Amino acid sequence: MASFIARRMLLLPVVAFGVTLLIFALLQFLAPEMRAAAFITNPNQLTALDAIIKKYGLDQPVYVQYWNWLREVFSGNLGWSQTARLPVRAAIGAFFPATLELTIYAFVPIMLLGVWLGTAAAVHRDRFIDHLSRVFSISFRSLPSFVWGLLILMILYGRMNWFPPGRLSLEADLFVRDPSRFQLHTNLLTLDALLNGQLWIFFDALRHLMGPVLTLTMVSIALLVRITRSSMLEVLRQDYVRTARAKGLGEDVVIDKHARKNALIPVITLSSLTFVGLLGGVVITETIFNFPGIGRWGAFAAQQLDIPGVTGFAMFVAGLTVLGNLGADILYAYFDPRIRLQ
Amino acid sequence: MTALKTLMVLALSLALGVTGVAYGQAVKNPDTLVKVKFGDPESLDPAYAYDTSSSEQILWHVYETLVFFNGGSTGQFVPMLATEVPTVANGGISKDGKTYRFKLREGVKFHDGTPMTAEDVKYSLLRFMFMDRDGGPSWILLAPILGEEGTRDEKGVLRTDLFTKADQAIKTSGNTISITLNKPFAPFLSIMAEWSMVVNKKWAIAQGDWNGTAAGLARLNNPKKPEDTALFSKANGTGPFKLVQWDRQSRQTILERNDNYWRKPAALRRVIYRVVEDFGPRRLMLQQGDADIVDVNRTEQSQVENLPGVRVLPDLPQLVTQGIYMNLNVDTTGGNPDVGSGRLDGNGVPVDFFADINVRRGVAQAFDYQTAIRDCYRGYATLGNGPVPKGMFGYNPNGKWYATDPAKAAAAFREARGGQVWNNGFKFTVAFNSGNTTRQCLAQVMKANLEALNPKFKVDVRGVTWAQYLSLYRQKKLPMWIIGWAADFPDADNFASPFMHSSGTYPSAQSYKNPEADKLIEQGRTETDTAKRRAIYFKLQEIAFNDAHTLYFYPVKLTVMRSWVRGWYNNPAFFGEYMYTMSKQ
Repeated sequence: MASFIARRMLLLPVVAFGVTLLIFALLQFLAPEMRAAAFITNPNQLTALDAIIKKYGLDQPVYVQYWNWLREVFSGNLGWSQTARLPVRAAIGAFFPATLELTIYAFVPIMLLGVWLGTAAAVHRDRFIDHLSRVFSISFRSLPSFVWGLLILMILYGRMNWFPPGRLSLEADLFVRDPSRFQLHTNLLTLDALLNGQLWIFFDALRHLMGPVLTLTMVSIALLVRITRSSMLEVLRQDYVRTARAKGLGEDVVIDKHARKNALIPVITLSSLTFVGLLGGVVITETIFNFPGIGRWGAFAAQQLDIPGVTGFAMFVAGLTVLGNLGADILYAYFDPRIRLQ
Repeated sequence: MTALKTLMVLALSLALGVTGVAYGQAVKNPDTLVKVKFGDPESLDPAYAYDTSSSEQILWHVYETLVFFNGGSTGQFVPMLATEVPTVANGGISKDGKTYRFKLREGVKFHDGTPMTAEDVKYSLLRFMFMDRDGGPSWILLAPILGEEGTRDEKGVLRTDLFTKADQAIKTSGNTISITLNKPFAPFLSIMAEWSMVVNKKWAIAQGDWNGTAAGLARLNNPKKPEDTALFSKANGTGPFKLVQWDRQSRQTILERNDNYWRKPAALRRVIYRVVEDFGPRRLMLQQGDADIVDVNRTEQSQVENLPGVRVLPDLPQLVTQGIYMNLNVDTTGGNPDVGSGRLDGNGVPVDFFADINVRRGVAQAFDYQTAIRDCYRGYATLGNGPVPKGMFGYNPNGKWYATDPAKAAAAFREARGGQVWNNGFKFTVAFNSGNTTRQCLAQVMKANLEALNPKFKVDVRGVTWAQYLSLYRQKKLPMWIIGWAADFPDADNFASPFMHSSGTYPSAQSYKNPEADKLIEQGRTETDTAKRRAIYFKLQEIAFNDAHTLYFYPVKLTVMRSWVRGWYNNPAFFGEYMYTMSKQ
């Protein structure tokens, strides 16, 4: 097990390196002037175009630019993100906690509700609950997240004023910023609020999380319901389930102990991908709810051709994906003893 | 599927219902004003910042200038950190128009309590000039004071002799500072009103910033990253608000009232600038009173017009000129799809297509200005007759411009290239920056009008990203394109130069050169006699009309705020709102 994990971890730098190489290779298709776009943002600066290109060596061959960047990486510096107005490392540090918090809160309802609905649908196949779960999951899935996001925002903020955009309300935000009254430990605001014993901050942060959590749940749950359902149906047809029933075991025990555990294998793959996907940032949801997460920054950096920003972001997400897959592999072994990690 | 449809209908009807709700809200956060914008500042360093978002936050809020604009006027000044506005009559401006003397106000303190002195002003001006980052604003002071556009030679080496010169040009004596210009420069006071932000020398040095000597210049000059300057995210000015924090994670800037301000402290206790990119949440925040002032695009105006408790100001003057540019010598190195075949064969245009004055006049008379203003600007723009926008000194309200006249346009095209243009037809591209629907609409009007003249005339409309645009601009590859210009400082020269001087921003990409225009622009800069100077810009307007290398529009500004915001006023030279006079009730 330990050697398996170690080998997987060795993969990390390789993947990260590959990703950066890919990005710089793509750079070759951009003219030097285009790479200057992050630095020249208005027509009044147009006459400085040549100077900017020279200053940042944007007209040098890609391998020279890659080498320069690599040198920066080895000096412990991932470069400057012109879109975040922060060094790349600091930008990841600043934006990731918000996304992590959102992911944790969104993952719980997605998993619980998804697996429960999927199981229920399979067990009560072609009955009311099955139809209901199908209708809901398909209709949630069939509109893009920006439609759901905007609808939720318009109704639950615009009409009800329950779940405002952003991460905190004005008063809470000013309170959290005051180091004499509040200490930021993890930048997960709900956790920090509890650590500081400020329940009202906790609820304020939670209120702001609700909109994006609801949106993410709606758009992510469908796949989970469908996969759980079909996997469960397949398991329920297996001989050992029939045997268990024949032994006279109660239906609850058959479903919960014998069937579901085995049905969860494909669900684990999917959920680890979902988790990593959420961690990598959910651009549209973050943008609509003005949630200062990492996805919005990554997308903005790509749009503005902020090369160090994009590269750092891609490396980070690649690393997360490797770790997510590792987590999934370990979970497989737990759920299915037939799978041995080597 | 019917369930889905029902759900969608239900959701949409709910959503539509939301817009009609009326609110009798009480003022939210009465002592804090929240402005929600779509862009964040690049740097809060007054010598580095050269974007509207940065200037909007620091200028006159955190830092102040020697003189200030009088109310809504861009040409009249009132003293700010100086005690009077220098004129030739009061001896503040020397007879030769080269030396400006400012007596500084007593008792002005920086936010940390240290009194402001003439040394601080000198340090600030020199720091502004010698920061000189590529693509930065330093040229605005370098040009009038030293007669140079930059501080480095062709090899990129810092010219220390310039520092000696500048050190002599800016002199302090007691609490007076005098600035001697390289040549008389008419717009100097309007430059001082925007670009003489005074920073705290002692404090800046303690933060590790430039030490004020020639030896320290190497570190100050042309920083590689914005965070390389000590004042990037810290500030210590004299203004009515102090910088509390620029939080780049949640993308907001928090300013707090300066209670020891040299005038009466501001009514607002706090000003918060927040970035919200998406219009949906921005609009809802305005509706809920969580935002007091929001950025709104012209295309979104109708969505805020009927919100209760919201004030929409749709037609504020601003210093912006939008142009449709024609390229007199298109580059085709390595191929250029925007000129088609590159020949006048009905499937392209030759590189010097627009060098023919008949073609340019044909375009200028074919274009339907009224439709463009009505459809593209929704009526919120006026037709321009030259670079200098309406309302600014140097604008000629009686200046001539072309009337839309398809018959005359056709006649001009018939004359072009001995009739070849008319007989063979042409094809070229009009480019605009993608996402800008106003410019896209202008391009489409151009296409429709030209194609209506002759079935052999073909025009393509193409949206290009800003990055592509930079590339095409530098390579001079666009035959015709559309983009705007916003003033660096309110003066006619800041429009005439970028639109008409052969080395200016747009003519250099258009290959437009008119020696007479160049000469007039250079004269206009040094002419101090108002009547003579006005005549120069009137003459330049005539040249703009005759040469017709560019078509001009003056769009007006849209501002949207809660009606509980008080004390607001507009000055076309402002980059945002001037918060000092404002309050909420």
